[in-house]
Order: sequence, then structure tokens, then C-alpha cells
Amino acid sequence: MFGAVPDLRLTKLAEVLCRYSLEVSEGDLVLVEGPALAQPLMLELVKTITDLGAHPMVRPSLESVEAMMMTRSSLAQLDTVTRLDEIEVEMPTRMLSIWANRNTRYLSGAPDQNLARRSAATRPLFERAIEREAAGETRWCGTAYPCHAAAQDAGMSLAEWEDFVFAAGHLLDADPIAFWRKQSRHQAAIAERLSKLTELRIVAENTDLTVNVGGRSWLNADGRQNFPDGEIYTSPLHTETRGTIGFSFDAAFNGRDVCGVRLWFEDGRVVREEAERGVEYLRQMLDQDEGARYLGEVAFGLNDEIQSATRDTLFDEKIGGTCHVALGMAFPEAGGTNRSGLHWDMVCDLRSAGDVYGDGELIFSRGRFL
Amino acid sequence: MNDPRLVTMADVITGYSLRLGEGDVVLIGGPAVAEPLLVELTRAVLERGAVPRVRVTLDGLDRAFLTRASDAQLDWLPPYALDEMETIAARITVHGSCNTRELANVDPAAIARRSSAARPVLERFMQRSAAGELRWCVTAFPCDAFAQDSDMSLTDYENFVYSAAWLDAPDPIAAWTSFGVRMTELAELMGGVRTLRVLTEDTDLTVGVAGRTWIPAKGDRNFPDGEVFTGPIETETEGHVRFSFPAAIGGREVRDIRLRFERGRVVAGEAASGQEYLRQMLAMDDGASVLGEFAIGTNYAVKQFTKQVLFDEKIGGTCHMAVGAGYPDTGSTNTSALHWDMVCDLRSGGEIQADGEPIFRDGRFLPSFFAHPLDPPAG
Repeated sequence: MFGAVPDLRLTKLAEVLCRYSLEVSEGDLVLVEGPALAQPLMLELVKTITDLGAHPMVRPSLESVEAMMMTRSSLAQLDTVTRLDEIEVEMPTRMLSIWANRNTRYLSGAPDQNLARRSAATRPLFERAIEREAAGETRWCGTAYPCHAAAQDAGMSLAEWEDFVFAAGHLLDADPIAFWRKQSRHQAAIAERLSKLTELRIVAENTDLTVNVGGRSWLNADGRQNFPDGEIYTSPLHTETRGTIGFSFDAAFNGRDVCGVRLWFEDGRVVREEAERGVEYLRQMLDQDEGARYLGEVAFGLNDEIQSATRDTLFDEKIGGTCHVALGMAFPEAGGTNRSGLHWDMVCDLRSAGDVYGDGELIFSRGRFL
Repeated sequence: MNDPRLVTMADVITGYSLRLGEGDVVLIGGPAVAEPLLVELTRAVLERGAVPRVRVTLDGLDRAFLTRASDAQLDWLPPYALDEMETIAARITVHGSCNTRELANVDPAAIARRSSAARPVLERFMQRSAAGELRWCVTAFPCDAFAQDSDMSLTDYENFVYSAAWLDAPDPIAAWTSFGVRMTELAELMGGVRTLRVLTEDTDLTVGVAGRTWIPAKGDRNFPDGEVFTGPIETETEGHVRFSFPAAIGGREVRDIRLRFERGRVVAGEAASGQEYLRQMLAMDDGASVLGEFAIGTNYAVKQFTKQVLFDEKIGGTCHMAVGAGYPDTGSTNTSALHWDMVCDLRSGGEIQADGEPIFRDGRFLPSFFAHPLDPPAG
């Protein structure tokens, strides 16, 4: 054969997303949204969705247009929610978001307050989608599509980044769906054990943190809502966190670099924060509302294909042998009650010298559950 | 930095063609390859206080769907399609492509089937347009695929598009506004005509237009623009016509089409290439073999044939007609999922007679009928 052939891994990715993550079936209306540069994946998705007897509804976007919208819109224009916007959350029975960028900093020229204003205006849409998902009217999944911009942030060539992303999704396995079903059972077993515990103590470099998870549900992130995936997570009793935690990886949050973060907790609240870089931004984020200084999530990464940090939270938080906590918004389905406009995941590496105690007993050491 | 002519084009479309105002919801649709124009349109719409929503299309996806979809999938009209059509105040459609032959080998029956399913949307669109509730404009972005079809380099094709839109003129909006005044007068004159007869090589066609409304196309619904059109009386077209320019639709080219009409309906259709496709299109539904439009091109800055209908049908000195759906605001009652424009060159030896009197010869209106010049502004 000569010339452009589709990357077979993309064909497999589309298969896994449609048949496993979203379980697309005949008659479904499947919204696919993401940047136009993800055209090769969108093409494979259209094929798979159509073959399954469903209806593809593809909405490619352009960063240039979005940046123009976010830069030049008046407050009234930012506040406007049109019927066209509502349709996209009300009609689809399956929704897939593709995450990729031409330039991860494409919104850097747009005023922060414009982004916040638009995000507030579209909050009802977001809530409507969540509501429909909870009611079983639709299902949602977000997936990564390997692109230059993410490769660059991760310090890799595109070819290396593609290998990494596809390996993280186990798309090189003979039967990726079988892998994810097995991984799902493995994670469910760990979640089951954790759900019996009240207190977790995480001990690692710069870290000695105690969180209370008594009575909370541990949820299984097994590739249905994020892809790739591999974590179990819950929301702790947010006023009971105490101690300190240091985060291991540089992170970009909303396109801003924040490195070397350490947090000190008393009665669940961050009472002191430090960062080697970006401390001002960190402080602004923590002060945005009352809930932003409390934990909304504690979780363990269980994807062993992901070994090194990428500056992309989707991947970093799933590194097998790490844990992460998120400041801000909790998951109601886990029993969490903390509320905030923030949900910022930060990852702590436990692989070389980390221990976790469950109700005083060692349950996890050097990146592995015992 | 975008080509300044592209910036002006977006300003003319939003300010002159659509006269957008505060709060108007504007759906901008176009291919990703037209990104520079999509961005400029977004800017220009925002500057007028209106609310843009951009719908990007990607080459390749349509073909993947059409070649795999079952009849049930082709027939399926998305539940939101009519809803969307109801809600918008204006629509801008940007033509452009990575490859104009993307659908060339897709079964025409599949394309026709999907068009038929979307017919309620097209009809509602035309109703709202006729009622003045929905403004719309179709434009084109100069891209490589179009340039290639025109046997031009991209730079030459850009010059062609921008000069067709008079964007080199010192004040394009003033030029289009004054052209609009002359076109409105021309349309009024045409409104007095009962029967038109078109004569040129292999063509002697009579079209009944009595009582129908002629619409001056002056840069509002198409940009660039320049034609005067109506919807012929559905049962009165008689005779034969040969379309000298290839007619492209749905990614296919049909060459040298010859149609014979009796009592308004195509009774024989031939083409040097693509005859089977022609036959299928004309058989799509009841209205597909009846004229929905008859028009005369009046943009004298467009001189060459480029295989893009938007430009070809505007060539000063040509006439064109469309089989299929007519525009209700012309008085046309023909409905169809098809609207296929075919262009007939009248610049050398062609003539149009109105109720027996010659009004148009060799590509120009005769001063005895319409004395005002329709020439484009000096660049």
C-alpha cells in the first residue's frame, strides 16, 4: 500500500470508545466534540458510530475562533446561552469530548474574567448534562487525542507521545476491551477493600497527610468516563484532613505552570501553601471561594502503563503507584459535600518511598497495594 | 495577520449583506480549511453586537457516513435540525474544500436520500427567509481545491475571488449599495415581463414568468453576487436548452447538459458525461424535473468559468436556471430536495426576448430595455 493509511491504533481507539466506554447502540445520537485537528480520530469515530447503527453528530472546533470569542465578546455576548448551545446538551444520548490542542496556551490572550464569565454563563448547560447523565439519558466520555502541543508540554516528539498515549489506553493489546474489563474488576476489588476503612495516612517525601474517608464510596474509573483511565477515587470528609502534602510533578493548570506545591491542612482547611513557582496563582485559586481550600477528592492511580509525568493531569493522576488529591469541588456520588468552582488535582508520587496506612495498618508501600 | 481583503469581506458580509444587529444569533457554517474567514466572520459578528456560533465541517466525515449508512440512517432527520432552523436570526455558509471530489464516488442515491430527509428543514428555511425572519448569506473562501478546479494558483484564485467581490474598490460597501439600487430597478423592469425566450446555440427555451417576482441579488444572500432571478411558472417552460458550462453538484461534474422541456417538465435529459447521475437527480422527487429558478448573471467582474456555481452563475452575460426547489418569495411553488443551478453562456451570439422584443444580446442588456451600466467599480 502507498500513501496515507489510518493509524490502526486510532481505529482501535474508536472501537473501544464506542463499544466499551460509551456502549453506543442502534439509534443513539452521538455527539463528538473536539478540535478540528482531531479529524483522523473523528473519521474513525464516524465509521464506528455509523456501523453500529447510530447517528454521529460531529462538532469540530477551532482554537482561533474560540480565542476570538473569548477575547472580543462583550459581557452580554459572554452571558448569552442560545438554543443551539442547549441542543448540544439536551439531545445527544452519548457524548464524547476529544481533548487535544494546537497550542495548549491558545487562550492566554483572553482576559481571565471573560473565561470565568463564560464558564458561569454555561454552568446550567454543564449541570443539565450532569443531570441527564445521572438520569441515565446520556453517557459522557472524555478522551485524549495525541497532538504536537501535548507532546511538547510532555517534552516528547509526537511519535513518542502517540506511543505513550496509545500504550496508556492498552490499544496495542490484542483485545483492548478485554484488558479494560479485567482492569475494571481489579480496581473494583481495591475499591471494595478501601471502602471498609475510615482513616488513610499517606507518608512520603514532604508528606504526612491524614484524610478521613469513613462511609464514603470509592468510585472505579475504568475507562468509561475518561480514556485512557485507571484510578479509584472518593471524596473525603472535608473538614477532617490534617497534616502536610508535597506534590511531585510540575503541573499546568489552565495553561499556567505551578511547580513544587506544598500544602498544610488543619481541620480540613489549607492553612499554609507554598510553591516553587506560581505561588501567586495558587493563592488566587485557593481564595476564589470557601470550598477551594478543602479537599474534594482523594484517589490512587492504577494505570501501570503510565510511568512518567506529562504535565497533563489526565495522564499524571493515573500513573500507577501515585495518589492524588483535588482541592475544591467534591463528587456527590462519592458522598462528598464540599462545593467550589475549583477542582484542581495534584499528584503525589509514592513509588520510591511512599507508604499508606489504613486505620493504622500498612496497606500500600512503594507504589503497590499490599 | 489575515489578508486585509478577507477582513473587509467579513465586514461587508456582516454589515452590508446581513445588516446584523445586537443580539442576532448567527450560525456560521464552513469547513476547517476556511479557518481564516471563519475567524474574521466571528470577529465581525461580535463587533456588531450579534452572537456568533461557528459550525465547522471536516472533509472526509461526510463520505465515511454516506458510504456506510443504512437507509434508516440516511432517512433520519436529527430531532434538533428544525429546532436550530427556528432559532437563528441569520446564517452564513462558507464554501471551501480540501478536495471538491470528496463525494465523487459516493452512491448518488445515498446523497439524494439524505437530501430528501432534510427537506422539511430546507422548506422551513425558505419559509422563514421569505417571511423576512431569517437572513442568510452564502460565500466562499479561496482555497487550493477551488483554485485547482479553476486551473489557477492559489494566489491567482484569491485575486479572482476578491475582485469578484469588489474588495479592491476604495469603498466596497458603497459600490455594492449603488449596484443594489440599479439591480432593484432592473428587477422592477423584469417584473413587467410575461414570457422570456432564450436563444443561443442549441437553445430555444421559453419560460413563463407572468406575475412572478424578480429578486435583485445584490450581495445580500450571496457574496459576491450579481444576478436577477425569479421562479418560473411551473407548467409553462417549453423548448430545449444546452448548458455550455459543466454543472457541478455533490462533488460530481456533469458536462454539456441538454434538457428538453414540455409543459414545464424535463422530458429528455442528456449529458456528455455524468448522464446517469443527471437522470437520478432529476428523478429524485416530483419537483426535481421542474424549474425552480430562472436568472441572469450581472457581475461583470466575474468573467471566467471556475466550476463553483456561486461564481459561475454570476458571470455577467450568462443566464442560469435551477431544476428543483424554487424560492417562495419569487412566487415559485415548486418544491424539491434538489436545487441544481446550470449556467448557459450568452456572451457570444446569445439573445433574450421579452414578450417577443429583444432585451439582451451578446451578454448585455440592450439600452432600449435597461440603460444603466452594471459594470463593477474600478479597482
